Amino acid sequence: MSISKETALEHKNDPAVLCCRAEEGIVIEAHNLEDPQIFDDLVDSGLLKLDGALTIGQVLGAKLTKTCDSLTPLTADVLDGYGKAEEAEEKEAVKKDLLHKQPVRSDEIVSAGNTGVLKLHIGEGKDIDIELPLGVSWGNGRIIELPSEPAEDVRNESAVSGGTASESTKFVRSLTRKHFKITEVLRGPETKIEGTTLYIREGIEKECVESQDLVVDLHLDIITPDQYDTYSNTIMDVLPIAAKEGETDLGTGVTRVLDGVIFMITGVDERGVQIGEFGASEGILNQNIMWNRPGCPDYGEIFIKTDVMIKEKTNMERPGPIAAHCASDVIVQEIREVLKELDESLVVDTEVFEQVRRPEKKKTVIVKEIMGQGAMHDNYILPMEPVGVIGAKPNVDLGNVPIVVSPLELLDGCIHALTCIGPSMKETSRHYWREPLIMDVMEDDDFDLCAVVLVGSPQINSEKAYVSKRVGMTVESMDVDCAFVTTEGAGNNHVDFASHIEQVGMRGIPVVGISWCALMGALVVGNKYMTNMIELNKSEDGMENEILGCNTLCHEDSIRARAMMKHVLAGGKVAAPDKKWNGSANAENADIIDAVEGIKMERLPNETSLPPNEKHIQREKEKAQGAE
Amino acid sequence: MKYADKIFHMEGVIVEIHDGSVSIDMKERLGSLTIPKRMLFCDTKLQIGQRIGWSMSYPEQMDGEPVERYVRTIENSKANKKMYQQRAKEIKNEY
Repeated sequence: MSISKETALEHKNDPAVLCCRAEEGIVIEAHNLEDPQIFDDLVDSGLLKLDGALTIGQVLGAKLTKTCDSLTPLTADVLDGYGKAEEAEEKEAVKKDLLHKQPVRSDEIVSAGNTGVLKLHIGEGKDIDIELPLGVSWGNGRIIELPSEPAEDVRNESAVSGGTASESTKFVRSLTRKHFKITEVLRGPETKIEGTTLYIREGIEKECVESQDLVVDLHLDIITPDQYDTYSNTIMDVLPIAAKEGETDLGTGVTRVLDGVIFMITGVDERGVQIGEFGASEGILNQNIMWNRPGCPDYGEIFIKTDVMIKEKTNMERPGPIAAHCASDVIVQEIREVLKELDESLVVDTEVFEQVRRPEKKKTVIVKEIMGQGAMHDNYILPMEPVGVIGAKPNVDLGNVPIVVSPLELLDGCIHALTCIGPSMKETSRHYWREPLIMDVMEDDDFDLCAVVLVGSPQINSEKAYVSKRVGMTVESMDVDCAFVTTEGAGNNHVDFASHIEQVGMRGIPVVGISWCALMGALVVGNKYMTNMIELNKSEDGMENEILGCNTLCHEDSIRARAMMKHVLAGGKVAAPDKKWNGSANAENADIIDAVEGIKMERLPNETSLPPNEKHIQREKEKAQGAE
Repeated sequence: MKYADKIFHMEGVIVEIHDGSVSIDMKERLGSLTIPKRMLFCDTKLQIGQRIGWSMSYPEQMDGEPVERYVRTIENSKANKKMYQQRAKEIKNEY
């Protein structure tokens, strides 16, 4: 397919290849040339050899001295009046310069190979159609990259900011979390907390069932660590048990939270079909949970787990999952009421989150794309209690339009997530409660975090464009210097994810995009602003590994994302990724950060750390042998 | 995978639409798919009878040995379904 003048300019240093048959004597223009983004696949499949090809910048305006077929590389022997290889020389000089600096590293996201068909039409007397595998759907699945070279100026600025931060910050508000320790959960005649024991009222299940027309049964299980090897229905959500102290709103004042215990929602319909059954994470609990991820239980915690049965065939309809969540919230709400009244002497830890503005630093917004396609792809926004449902509005009902919240509102449980995507990509309610990027950017003296924008991902492309344009306008009105755009998991949400980045990028605002893509979730759309991307994959082979929370945003991803943003803001460029995802990029990016910032990042555990994975068994055997 | 990808164009027709999922019958009576809505790209509202296209190759056995974890989950899941169906019956009988 021919390219436009703008594309030719962007690719002026790439090889020039004819897109169609061209007659002797014509002057080469952009429309005579093929899009360089497809060359890798053509070269791989042996249909194209680029030896001796001049660059696009060289051939534009040159005269063709010989009639050539489509897909012919333009070489010096078929052109007259082509430009000198100035750009090439310049490129070589840059390369040489780079040899003395840090190695180029790239996080990469590669589109799923062999997923499309490239159709070429060659009109030469008779029509010839060629079909060949196209490894990528857009721009060679480029993406991600980390600093191609550590930006000296970024580091210098950081050092300065460290000394001046306190003088230039402006306090906005604070949020205090008071932690109460729970070591035992029992059933009893009333819901209460005595010391570190939580009692849940016998018979509360009946009220849960009666609260929702669609709920026909609800069981409450207390799962202690010695019961981690029991079978469970698919995990619909993991929630902190927290309550506001006094009459304060989310994101301000004091929030009380129970440590050592989490709430978990599971469910089926009357046929025994899992709620939201796609790659469900039903099975043995300790084989299906990536412990200690932001959105997962921490190893050793007690689970208060509901097993909700909803009416037949409502498991895929919107009211079904909502009813399961609302019925479960009856129990959490009763615990919240008790938590509010607890004696202050039981507080074991106090955290204070301060939202401050740093007017002299880079004004930053974080855009978080959340699901909004319907049913369990929905989120309750801004409940009255942390991660509650009462008072909240589902983002599907709000039209998925951008909602601006403060970072503290987000960390105070302003999202109750009805998660149901691949288990490893799920951002559960607890994920937002412990969102690493927001926590880190808030604390980072180099950023002035002004807001978090939540935007839903609708089903239909026209609606995606609608909400995405609103994201662009919202961010434009903020006059920010940079933006992080994140999404959970893969699917059609990547269409609007790309569009959000474009809408922000086209306004001249540097963007770092963050998503799980790897092999299975490779991006299927893209644009010229998607050059700075962070890959969230932790699984061994780049696939959805069905382990809850494994491929979600972690602190380590946040470190790489912030480093990339600082590098870009300092004028650094992000190198193009390897052609195919191979998993090494994240580690090498981490190495660069270690070398520059002195921050060591261990590779996070994945499915191989869990039983009964073969690699896990092998490792355990080796450990045992070593011990002998 | 042992065999080369033989990518071909497949078509199907939407036969069921739910808030969270779409069911597609493949043409030529080659099977059916039920997928989460978010895994389907669409320009307009989804409607029963719309044609859906995608590329695919032949599924291929990856290894001869069943994976213990999956076997256990499938067996548990079957037993679970029966248990819930029984419980649902009992609840209905109570009323």
